[in-house]
Amino acid sequence: MPQELSLDRDAVATVVKKVVVAESRLSLPPDRVRDDEPLVGDLLNVNSLGFVGMLVRIEDELDVTLPDDLFVGRSFRTVRDLIDVVTAAEVQR
Amino acid sequence: MTNAVPTRWRSVLPHLSEPLPPDRTPPRSGAGSGEIKINIPTELIRHSVSSREYWDIPAPVVERYRQYRPTPLWRARGFEEAVGARVPVYVKNEGVNISGSHKLNTALAQAYYYQKAGVKELVTGTGAGQWGTAMAAACALFGLRCRVFMVESSLRRKPYRGVLMRMLGAEVHASPSGMTKVSATENPAAGNSLSLAIGEAVEYAAEHDQVAFCIGSGETYSILHQSVIGLEAQEQLAELDAGIGTVVGCVGAGSNFGGIALPFHATARAAGEPGPRLVAAESSSTPKLTRGVYAYDKTDATGSGPMEAMYTIGSDYRIPDAHTAGLRFHGAAKLISAMRHSGDVDAMAVSQADALDAGRLLARHESVLPAPESGHALAAAARIAASPEATGGVLVCVSGHGYLDLGAYEHFLAGGLEDQSPPDEALARAVAGLIRVETRP
Repeated sequence: MPQELSLDRDAVATVVKKVVVAESRLSLPPDRVRDDEPLVGDLLNVNSLGFVGMLVRIEDELDVTLPDDLFVGRSFRTVRDLIDVVTAAEVQR
Repeated sequence: MTNAVPTRWRSVLPHLSEPLPPDRTPPRSGAGSGEIKINIPTELIRHSVSSREYWDIPAPVVERYRQYRPTPLWRARGFEEAVGARVPVYVKNEGVNISGSHKLNTALAQAYYYQKAGVKELVTGTGAGQWGTAMAAACALFGLRCRVFMVESSLRRKPYRGVLMRMLGAEVHASPSGMTKVSATENPAAGNSLSLAIGEAVEYAAEHDQVAFCIGSGETYSILHQSVIGLEAQEQLAELDAGIGTVVGCVGAGSNFGGIALPFHATARAAGEPGPRLVAAESSSTPKLTRGVYAYDKTDATGSGPMEAMYTIGSDYRIPDAHTAGLRFHGAAKLISAMRHSGDVDAMAVSQADALDAGRLLARHESVLPAPESGHALAAAARIAASPEATGGVLVCVSGHGYLDLGAYEHFLAGGLEDQSPPDEALARAVAGLIRVETRP
């Protein structure tokens, strides 16, 4: 039976930054990425399909299943936007 | 014959010879917002990128599949004799549902996931009208509104496609519609195309709340949903104790071909054995797999999405008008393209006249009227089966019926069909600006 739980924001932030750094093909430590860093900007370069592909890696890293509507009708500008959405989601493990 | 309906889809992604090339961000146009807008259920994302092989089909989707699946598969002895086949030809007929084609297999799945994710309306583009009809039917079943942009020349030839979609509750627009910016900037006099109809749907969805764009062919998740065709065929052929040397499907972007062929590839790879030859039959007027280049190109006329690695004749190439609207797409799906590039998929170009003649033969000798698109697969299957080198049986997918395409057959019977294969120089110009996919060492 799947168990519903909420996620710790710091844990989510660590994973999200690790994944956006990998997606942008950078080699810097994830903690160097600021929360307000644009997803498409001077440092990070995440395209929309790369972005949705990150979902699976975030799920794997956190060992959770994110809800069906997480990416419906949303727009994301910064790393914080993504951290906030994942943290607020009712996930299952 | 088995009555079993598959309860799982099978993904080929774990069995690819090389991973799919990542998409490229399109060149930024002027003042981009820097925003990433996403409008897709998470499960469809997983279907596209996860390396999981088997996926449970949701119970409400299986229940709908049971209304028309398993679809018929039989040895087409009359067709074999008519084309001089040296090996058996098996036909799998996906035209036996209200949409008249395989498209319902993924339309039901997509409507289910979008409705579950809170979307209220789905909007799409359609060429031949089979996808639009499938989406209209699926939306009606899962309580969603539906809006369809259909290629104008195709809608004019097949007005009853529009009637059927409206009966199912959809709002239908001829494309170019004039109601979107992309249709205003395209030059309608230069010819209609599926990429423009899709572009109109993309733009409409982006500008309306609780509305999502959905697509029926080239997406990796669509091809996964179509795996029910091949999975069923494997069971049915096993019951007939039939060996298969070649699997054939027609390719617009590639979903019915992927659906029937890729489960055979996955099975062979999993067993460490050579599988059947997989042959993609395309229109000679849209020869992306036989004469195109492997490059990054747009998937629709807006160019707002990522550029995908595909075999393409160039998204800006003006495809000549034809009766096979479902094949008039400039590129093949990135999954099918990657398998073509790795040598796991062969391709064959077929003219309209040959396709409709193969359709005529199937109607006369097997009492099944195929869509002109499916006629391309049948013509390719006939060539392969009649070849002195033929080994093993040929399995061919009839992707849809042709009852709304009788105008095309009338044209064919009157001897009025002319094919327009693109000249080499026109193709070279159309792909000149595209970035080629790097070939791995």
